[in-house]
Amino acid sequence: MRTILTFVTIMTTLSTTAQQTGASTVKTTFSRETSVSISIQADPSIIWALLTNASDFPRWNSTIIALEGDIAEGEKIRLTSTLDSNRTFKLKVKELQHEKRMVWGDGKGERVYTLEEKTPGMVTFTMREKIGGLMFPLYAKYIPSFNKSFEQFASDLKKEAEIIQSAKN
Amino acid sequence: MVGQKELNQCFEDCKDQLKSYVLRITASVQDTEDILQDTYIKAHEKLDTFRGDSSLKTWLFAIASNRARDVLRNHKRWPENVTDIAKEAALSNPGFFKEAMELRHNSGQGEFEIKEHIAFCFTCISKSLKLEAQLVLLLKEVYDFKMREIAIIMDTNEPLVKYHLRAAREKMVKIFDHRCSLISKQGICHQCTELNGIFNPEQKAEAELAKIDMVKASENKDRQHLLDLRLQVVQNIDPFKSGAAQLQLHHLEHNRKVMESFLKENPS
Repeated sequence: MRTILTFVTIMTTLSTTAQQTGASTVKTTFSRETSVSISIQADPSIIWALLTNASDFPRWNSTIIALEGDIAEGEKIRLTSTLDSNRTFKLKVKELQHEKRMVWGDGKGERVYTLEEKTPGMVTFTMREKIGGLMFPLYAKYIPSFNKSFEQFASDLKKEAEIIQSAKN
Repeated sequence: MVGQKELNQCFEDCKDQLKSYVLRITASVQDTEDILQDTYIKAHEKLDTFRGDSSLKTWLFAIASNRARDVLRNHKRWPENVTDIAKEAALSNPGFFKEAMELRHNSGQGEFEIKEHIAFCFTCISKSLKLEAQLVLLLKEVYDFKMREIAIIMDTNEPLVKYHLRAAREKMVKIFDHRCSLISKQGICHQCTELNGIFNPEQKAEAELAKIDMVKASENKDRQHLLDLRLQVVQNIDPFKSGAAQLQLHHLEHNRKVMESFLKENPS
């Protein structure tokens, strides 16, 4: 019993919250969750179009090198990001609620995108990624921080969506 | 209430524009003729459903766009290097230049003009865009529709039209910046001047190029402006009525067939 309590104490101590400007990461023994939120002054359909047109991602998103496939529910996509340009992640589009919520994932984790239109033309975009599992402690140290990449993603999305929104009619 | 007479008049007035628009989408003369005929028939059949929410012209473009989208639904988009692939195919096909030369010398619409080839090249490259993006780009920048009208034609909303236009323009700027030697010293494609040498051996390409605003402005760092100048060239050419129409339609038909085979052999 004492051993278990000590283990729990150590693990709780190791759980940390890393906060940078915008993105934050919560670490526990068996998982890590990074999230970022940003307000975007644009119609949700513009933001949604940017998030669901795979081949267009590298044009506006400096964190994505390539994204292949069809972003539709149940489809597989192949993502190469600047976080690890030598790896291509094969992800499944697990959930897609038009202009509201989208989930990509594989066996190790999930990325959730949400849009919330607080007032007309003002959208809060949130991106959250949780990775983990029983084996997570073994490979956690090899996974780079997502914070800067998440901040850049959100910033690129805001910039592009607002440029499109402001285009003349 | 709009009657058959007004519809006929409107169709007659915008027939040339509709025809060139559909050709630029399909790259097929046969599909263009079929879609135009279907558009005319459908407009007559459905005239009682026309509520006047848009102009008749916008409505006709909507019918034609829907029909073109149906026709192209299962077609793959062309690769950005379509002109390289088509050039290789033409060089390995002795019949291609023989036919082209015959048109050059015998057809009343067989001239070769660099401007015409710029418009032809634009049509081929724009088929590498997503279909929605290609349609929006043509409707806005070549056929001068307003965003609101395009939203009606495409059955979507204005913000999405803006998105497609932005994506289309950015991609076209990037492709031409990389490929077109007329606007970029690093441009890898010289086909318009090469073909000018074949079809107009007596003519100096430099003198012809000097007449084209886009080429004159090529030192300009504003790539969006250069795209606007390219779009002006496209806007001013009717691919069915110009003096070079038969020759360019022959090239377009060739490229389409080459692309159909290429995409069949390279399904990924």
